[in-house]
Amino acid sequence: MSHHVTFNDLPQGGEKFEPAKGGKLIGALGLFGLLGLVASAWFFFNNTDTFAYSWLFAVFFTFTFVVGGCFWILLHSVSNSGWGVSVRRIWENLANMILALAIFASPLLLPAVQKPLYEWMNHHREAAEHAHHDHVSVKEALHHMAEANPHLHVLVTKFGYMNLNPVGFSWYTRFVAYFLILWGIARYLRGKSLQQDQDGDIKHTVRARQFSSIVLLFYALTVTFAAYDWLVGLDYTWFSTMWGVYIFAGCAWASMALSILVITWLRSLGYLQKVVTDEHYHLMGKLLFAFTVFWAYIAFSQYFLIWYANVTEETRFYLTRNTEGWRGVSIFIVVGHFVGPFLLLLSQPRKKNPVVVSMVCIWILFMHLVDIYWIVIPERGPSLGLGVFAPGAWVQDIAALCAVFGTMGFLYLRGLAKYSLYPWRDPRLIESVNVVN
Amino acid sequence: MSTTLKRVHGYLAEFDSVKDLYHAAEQVRDAGYSRWDVHSPFPIHGMDDAMGNPRSRLPYLVFCGGITGTTVAFVLETITQTNFWSHIGLGFLQKIVETYPTVVQAKPTDIWTLPAFFPVMFELTILFSAFTTLFGLLALIGLPRWNHPLFASRNFPKFSDDGFFVCIEARDPKFSQEGTKSLLEKAGGKNIELVEDEI
Repeated sequence: MSHHVTFNDLPQGGEKFEPAKGGKLIGALGLFGLLGLVASAWFFFNNTDTFAYSWLFAVFFTFTFVVGGCFWILLHSVSNSGWGVSVRRIWENLANMILALAIFASPLLLPAVQKPLYEWMNHHREAAEHAHHDHVSVKEALHHMAEANPHLHVLVTKFGYMNLNPVGFSWYTRFVAYFLILWGIARYLRGKSLQQDQDGDIKHTVRARQFSSIVLLFYALTVTFAAYDWLVGLDYTWFSTMWGVYIFAGCAWASMALSILVITWLRSLGYLQKVVTDEHYHLMGKLLFAFTVFWAYIAFSQYFLIWYANVTEETRFYLTRNTEGWRGVSIFIVVGHFVGPFLLLLSQPRKKNPVVVSMVCIWILFMHLVDIYWIVIPERGPSLGLGVFAPGAWVQDIAALCAVFGTMGFLYLRGLAKYSLYPWRDPRLIESVNVVN
Repeated sequence: MSTTLKRVHGYLAEFDSVKDLYHAAEQVRDAGYSRWDVHSPFPIHGMDDAMGNPRSRLPYLVFCGGITGTTVAFVLETITQTNFWSHIGLGFLQKIVETYPTVVQAKPTDIWTLPAFFPVMFELTILFSAFTTLFGLLALIGLPRWNHPLFASRNFPKFSDDGFFVCIEARDPKFSQEGTKSLLEKAGGKNIELVEDEI
């Protein structure tokens, strides 16, 4: 057994991160972010239609990490777990990136961006015009339109959920609610954690647990609805009850991989040496493994039912992605997103080895990127009438990714310097530091 | 009067607490014994390290069992319901078992109907893994068996109530009547007895 660490072995006030030490990575992310933002501005004004998809892809990709970070602190608090105390601050900071992300997501509120992305909104806007003329409700106007175009019937039946009303249960109010809820959760939990850094009182842990138990439900609804509004909305005819869970599984998986990488990076700079041990890598590796399997289970369940039942309204999603150029990507996702990580994370010594786990995590981030790309981008060509792949648009995807992920990464890593890298007065810190599993 | 042949099984020593047992285990481990075991009413965390046990070989068996399950399911399904094996030049396999390509919902009868077979592949993987875990474990720990020499000790039944024991077996190359006994005494063992097994 390794040496037992006591409170006196750890520095007073925790460990403060100095961004100058990690200047290389932070600088690179900042540079990519800046270049990406400049390129994005150019593409936004010159290729609005194709770039809207790039932007949605980049924003949602980044969103999944923030949402995942929020999930891990919630789960940590709800399950009253002790082991994760030493790595919790990493998640807390990740979840708190939601406010910065809201700025990046705000272009989705512009009708010019919505027009190429969400066909249903165009129909709704047309219906709203008719409604204004004929003095009927939007839903009735939509119903009239459906007489000429039977495809629109589904929009009438989905009106309760898919609508652009300024108030009530509409796309816009939900959009705002997602960010408010996630921000509220992230802020409250980090706030409790920071208060504990001051007085070391267990009551903050208890309060955080009570709070988490209640908001976990709202968190789940937020992720589910956000996944529907932003992604399923790309094709209003599509149905899938698995979608929310599918996205959530990817969120938790990818953000765990990201936090492992951040921890490895911090350790390579000399931080968290005593606080995080191989045992933490093993524990996080196990969760990573669990979510590899969970994602595969959900992804397959969704695919399997749709593929087998072969109902026209449901198959479109997979028909687009399982034919022509996207077929290779689909098969690659099966192998790279599930089989590879599954086999790599299966053995205990590999999970306990920080270098190996971190390499797997880099692969996982890449596969998560491919997954989100595969969800958003195949809609672009057909929707805009540009063929299977919109030619040359991949440059825009990279620009958007650099802009959003680069800038957010830059802000996140710099933000780590604000507080101690771990909750240094959490009563269960010593339990976590000496964890054996 | 009949005479019974007896074989020395080993030394059994009792300890008062988990702590004593743990430290005794560390001492026995450091003395270099390999054929020995500890007995307690409940699992003790960290005892594997204190005893210096190597990692179990069971996971490797289970992995092989799981892979076998996947393969069996894959072969069984594809050989009976698709033309996959003919497509890769092994058509004779499909002549041996009568093949009935099953067309359901206009699904193909080649390898691309694979998703339909996943549930069975998944389940057989689990089943074979579970069986390998159970029977592999029983094989590795030598169960079931009719009797155990330690049951000859009158003191030993306490192991399932409040007794903590270390038993060093005579077949250990380091075992000696004097040395082993003094080691156990030094480690704080009580009621040290030489357990004998009837043959």
